[in-house]
Amino acid sequence: MLGRLMKYEWKATWKLLLPMNMLIIVMTFLACITVRADIFDSDNDMMVFGAMMILLTYIGSMFVVCIGTAIFLIYRFYTSVYGDQGYLLHTLPVDKHHIIVAKVLVSTGWILAGMALMYASVIFLFTERGEFLADFIDTFGGMIEYWGGAGMSGFVFLMTLVSVVFSVFARVLKVTACISIGQLSPNHKLLTAFAFYYGIYFAQKILSVFYFALIEMVNNLMDIDRFSYFDNSWEETLISGILYSVVFYLITWYMMEKKLNLD
Amino acid sequence: MAPIVQCMGLTKTYGGKVALNQINLSLERGRIIGLLGPNGSGKTTLIKIMNGLLGPTAGAVYINGQKPGIETKYRVSYLPERTYLHPGMKVIEMVQYFQDFYPDFRLDRAYDMLNRLQIPPAERLKNLSKGTREKVQLILVMSRDADLYILDEPIAGVDPASRDYILHTIVSNYNRNATILLSTHLISDVENILDEVVFIRYGNIILQAGAEQIRRNEHKSVDRFFREVFAC
Repeated sequence: MLGRLMKYEWKATWKLLLPMNMLIIVMTFLACITVRADIFDSDNDMMVFGAMMILLTYIGSMFVVCIGTAIFLIYRFYTSVYGDQGYLLHTLPVDKHHIIVAKVLVSTGWILAGMALMYASVIFLFTERGEFLADFIDTFGGMIEYWGGAGMSGFVFLMTLVSVVFSVFARVLKVTACISIGQLSPNHKLLTAFAFYYGIYFAQKILSVFYFALIEMVNNLMDIDRFSYFDNSWEETLISGILYSVVFYLITWYMMEKKLNLD
Repeated sequence: MAPIVQCMGLTKTYGGKVALNQINLSLERGRIIGLLGPNGSGKTTLIKIMNGLLGPTAGAVYINGQKPGIETKYRVSYLPERTYLHPGMKVIEMVQYFQDFYPDFRLDRAYDMLNRLQIPPAERLKNLSKGTREKVQLILVMSRDADLYILDEPIAGVDPASRDYILHTIVSNYNRNATILLSTHLISDVENILDEVVFIRYGNIILQAGAEQIRRNEHKSVDRFFREVFAC
């Protein structure tokens, strides 16, 4: 049943999200033509103004796609799970775990695809003609090395990618958990969900401050010059991503299985 | 044979308000049963608990001897009082959706009913009128070979001319060993198809009797009797 749920989740999301991502590709090509045609050196004010508008639209489209994807995925989760469509979803003979996994996997897939597309778009815009692939790999490697620490290996590369995936999982599941808690409120479901989201965000920040304070204290006590308990920052990202994913997943599941409250 | 539905001390409270008060109810197989009561009497709450959309505060409900869960959802076909279909999907896609998830879904039956009601399968649901969307929903629900059909206000949103056809659709498309639990305010429209009625008020079952028994003992229609019992 998981495969079927994912199929219908994909069908319900691609019609809007695919064109939105296509918009980035179109705007990238337009922006590239503008940058490479040296229009900004032109004496024609109208041409310069047009070029500026294209670049501003390019930047704007990035924001629109980022925010639009997030809003659409949140809306989709809320209406299909706790809105009218929830009456159908929750009377299907499927496990609640499958419902959550299908929605989280498809949402995470769209977010990761969007991130990859925007990254490729920026590289494409600033790279020399014919050197896109080399620049893409160089910059990507540099980012991974920055995140994964010195002494890059295949293992570190892989684990860094895994940690990015889990940090996206954790963010998606944080939203699903907050919406699931919010549905308990009889009159202010979305407001309650927002309140919990910012409450959890604040609690996460406090936990993070305590964690780094503890590391500093251990460093000072042991008189060592090591910022983190971990050798590489991907380890912290991965562990916190997994921990938060598990916690938010369990909250979402508990609310869906034990506290479902469809109006 | 064991009853299809059994409620034992079923209670649901919202804050301090009691929606269902220690309900004990047993529904037999092969019957068309009207769940009748005024607004706010607890009909929809009872139906939601049977479908696992709400959890009880106390007591339990058993469908086919099991608490609501995956197994009971294979056996229960539920029509809620609201439209639960994705408006962006086509009728044909919703038919496919039901076929994908319910092994007891009868494709031929669904298309036969769509044809008879002249509902174009290629049309998107958002382009259909509210009444037609409700008909599509009813067709999907009645195209299953379920043991229990739970229909919450199935004729409330459709015009009087279509009601007879819908009731005919309900009666002629269910498995004879199955039970239909039908909640409605429009008692006079459904009275003729009911085998049994359950009256519910303030979360309490106040009567469970055969429709013919009411007509014989009270010398009046179920609709008339209902109006007297629930007179304001």
